[in-house]
Amino acid sequence: MKFVRIISAPALHRLQTHYQIRMSVRLALLVTTIGAGLIIAGCDSSASIEEPNEMVLHHVLSAKIKGLDPGNMRDVYSIIVASQIFEPLYQYHFLKRPYELVPLLAEDMPQISDDLLTYTIRIKKGVYFQDDLCFSNSKGRELKAKDFVFSLKRIANIKYLSQNWSIFDNKIVGLDEFREYTKICNSEADVDYSRQVQGLTTPDDYTLIIRLKKSWPQLCTVLADIATAPVAKEAVDYYGKDIISHPVGTGPFRLNVWRRDSYIELVRSPSFRGEFYPSSGEPGDAEAGYLDDAGKPVPFADRVLWTIIEERQPAWLLFLQGKVDATVIPKDNFDEVMDGAGELTPAMKQHNIHLKTFNDPSTYWLGFNMLDPVLGKNKPLRSAISYAIDREKFIELFFNNRHPVAYGLIPPIMPSYNPEIKEKGYAKYDPEKAQELLKEAEKIHGGKLPTLKIALPGTSTWYRQFGQFLKRNLNAVGLEVETEYMDMPTYQEKVNTKSIQMFTSGSSATSPDAQDFLAMFYSRYNAPGPNKFNYSNPEFDELYEKAQVMLDSPEKHQLYRKMELIVLEDCPAAFLNHRVAYVLHHDWYKNYKPHAFAYGLSKYRRIDLVKRTAYKELLKTIK
Amino acid sequence: MTTYIISRLLYTIPIVFGVLLLTFVLFNLVGGDISVEIAGKDATQETIDEIREEYGLNKPLFFSLDSQFANHFKNALTFDFGRARDRELVINKIKRGIGPSLALTVPIFFGVVIISVSLSLVVAFVRGTIWDILAVVICVAGMSIPYLSFILFGQYFLAYKWGLFPVFFSPDLSLARNVALPVLIGITAGLGRNLRFFRTVMLDEMRNDYVRTAFAKGLKTRRVLFKHVLKNAMIPIITRVVSAIPFLFLGSLLLERFFGIPGLGYLMVEAIGSRDYFVISAMTYISALLFVVFNLITDICYSLVDPRISLE
Repeated sequence: MKFVRIISAPALHRLQTHYQIRMSVRLALLVTTIGAGLIIAGCDSSASIEEPNEMVLHHVLSAKIKGLDPGNMRDVYSIIVASQIFEPLYQYHFLKRPYELVPLLAEDMPQISDDLLTYTIRIKKGVYFQDDLCFSNSKGRELKAKDFVFSLKRIANIKYLSQNWSIFDNKIVGLDEFREYTKICNSEADVDYSRQVQGLTTPDDYTLIIRLKKSWPQLCTVLADIATAPVAKEAVDYYGKDIISHPVGTGPFRLNVWRRDSYIELVRSPSFRGEFYPSSGEPGDAEAGYLDDAGKPVPFADRVLWTIIEERQPAWLLFLQGKVDATVIPKDNFDEVMDGAGELTPAMKQHNIHLKTFNDPSTYWLGFNMLDPVLGKNKPLRSAISYAIDREKFIELFFNNRHPVAYGLIPPIMPSYNPEIKEKGYAKYDPEKAQELLKEAEKIHGGKLPTLKIALPGTSTWYRQFGQFLKRNLNAVGLEVETEYMDMPTYQEKVNTKSIQMFTSGSSATSPDAQDFLAMFYSRYNAPGPNKFNYSNPEFDELYEKAQVMLDSPEKHQLYRKMELIVLEDCPAAFLNHRVAYVLHHDWYKNYKPHAFAYGLSKYRRIDLVKRTAYKELLKTIK
Repeated sequence: MTTYIISRLLYTIPIVFGVLLLTFVLFNLVGGDISVEIAGKDATQETIDEIREEYGLNKPLFFSLDSQFANHFKNALTFDFGRARDRELVINKIKRGIGPSLALTVPIFFGVVIISVSLSLVVAFVRGTIWDILAVVICVAGMSIPYLSFILFGQYFLAYKWGLFPVFFSPDLSLARNVALPVLIGITAGLGRNLRFFRTVMLDEMRNDYVRTAFAKGLKTRRVLFKHVLKNAMIPIITRVVSAIPFLFLGSLLLERFFGIPGLGYLMVEAIGSRDYFVISAMTYISALLFVVFNLITDICYSLVDPRISLE
């Protein structure tokens, strides 16, 4: 740049004129830029606008989801959404308790051979896949028995790397051999799905026969799992690896919009065959209004909308504004919601808000990757970490004392829960013992222990506080710890690829049998299977295999308790808490009956539009 | 000037090449094998090979027309950044996020600049009075309050209590309505720091002889301030303002997160958290490109606002 001093008068005049032009140009530039900004700001987000009489369910998801492919997902957030799009053969009755399996895509319950090895399942006629570009003329075709066979073979395909393979591992005749065959294929697309699997046959379009290697009493509950929902081969071929973003199921809703970081919108599927609201339930259901819609066709809602909100404050405020139908109680708002007697506060009652509490069959933990060279061979270190965590303080700080401490891995509401598990002392807070164990751990390690890393599946304030809590507890006994916060898809990827040292997670049962919790420690089910700890103990494995073929009985429960003690002794995880769900919903949100195992329940929810409209007026009077 | 602009544009070629080389070296050489990172610790060689094949990591690094660097260079120039780790095309992620991000940051940027420059002129004019002291106190307070507090306060009172704005992003509303409150919060939170800076700039300018002369000649205050003082104070203003423009592209993490704005701030932070090299690399490249372009614009602006500066 060159600096030039202007001195002459004519030059000054020219300059002034020039100045005015430049000023105009700059002003025009400024206006254009602001205008462009406003145009961008004015762009509509292309979402459906809610009509006054349209029934829309407004829900919140507290984490992003990776994909909507039932064959390869296990996280609860994906399952919540996918369960409205896909359907398995069976489902749990919405109202009846104890929980009872009823047919969904199956015509009736399976016919089981005397030797308990052959299941014959009749498929409903007139079930159609949702309309999609993958089908000719974009019209969904009818569901056939072969679709179930394809979906199970797909899970067995090793190139597909399904997290759900462990469910079927060594169970169905010929399926393991099919998996072996896929190893020699070059890619997922090269697998020949017409290859016969002896244990999966379809004598006609509406009959599926499953032949088992050995008795598997849990098969019916597995066939109620979203993992077994049929996927159309046309969709898999058409979308390839993008299938995770293009779900094509048979369920009551189909995907309309999915903005990955923002929201998911499902709309009622025009090709849905129709289903009816249950006409019977358990005693008290009629009085509670759960049978008001008995026999009516479902779904009631036109659209289901999930907004992804990772921070608690906006989710809570949206609920209070009536823009979300139901929510859990954020820890920071607990006193605003509940009084000392366990009732809703007058302010909540004034909002016509209802509270539903139920024992969720779930367990949460700080898990250790047993393949990690530092943790895996150092039991005193793992035990020291477990003893260093003050679980009661954790529950007080993060759950307002609502949840029980997890003394073991089986939740208290399961029939196989061990009532004496607390006395075993595995979940005791004992920092002195932890320090003693650490000395032993250092000897095994051969020197000072390195900094340990804990992965947390969220980046919200809650997770950061949780990370700080764990760090403080472990620092207090002399352990150096780093916390890594990541979004749910990244976390899952890292856990599934065994790339994490310690991780915080939890699991909910998918059936009244506690097998889900024990499967997490069976060595054949290592990550990406349910055994994210990559734990291995031959004694445990032997007992697990024995229990797998047993019918539900006190002997089986006893076996479960024995297995639980083996796990607690080896300490592949520090179990933290079980969950008692406290769910708030508005009075217009009908048919909200808590269910421990089912997720595809949006079809039963109904909105009382008059009450929802009236809430806006109510809010004005309250404010 | 045209020659200058052309020559500066030519300079951008080695700069862009350097940025591409740097990101390539950082992510492909210093950062270790991405395919191993993606496949995980316990992956088989077969899985790793598949990933290497998919991302073209089995090709030579340099010195070939089909080398990894040549492809990196070619893809960057055509804005074809490939797929992110969640399988989505990186360019689609950026395209989707850029609108909401700019809808948020552009109004905040102009709001802050226009208001703080205008106020700084007024405050500088009334320097030493109670209004000046009050403005400085408010500025310092505004700078001291955490950004998050502005967000929580605004969200609770303006959106929830008084119902003036949506609490959170709603697809049923236009983007303009969705970003209105975050923009307001962004402007309010940014005013303190900027007003204080521009006040200092203006005060320096107000002390010059020509201002006293202008007033002595009987010019109106408004004319002196907005025509003469503002013009002469433009150099530091432009330096600060134009150099901030490329960063608008990166969005605003906290505002995006608390108001659910699906922008690029969120995308970048999540990509860093999940070690998504493909997204990070693309965002770094675009940021660098914008930075170079806006640096050039800054220089051009200098010559436009100050006749003593000519570009050669």
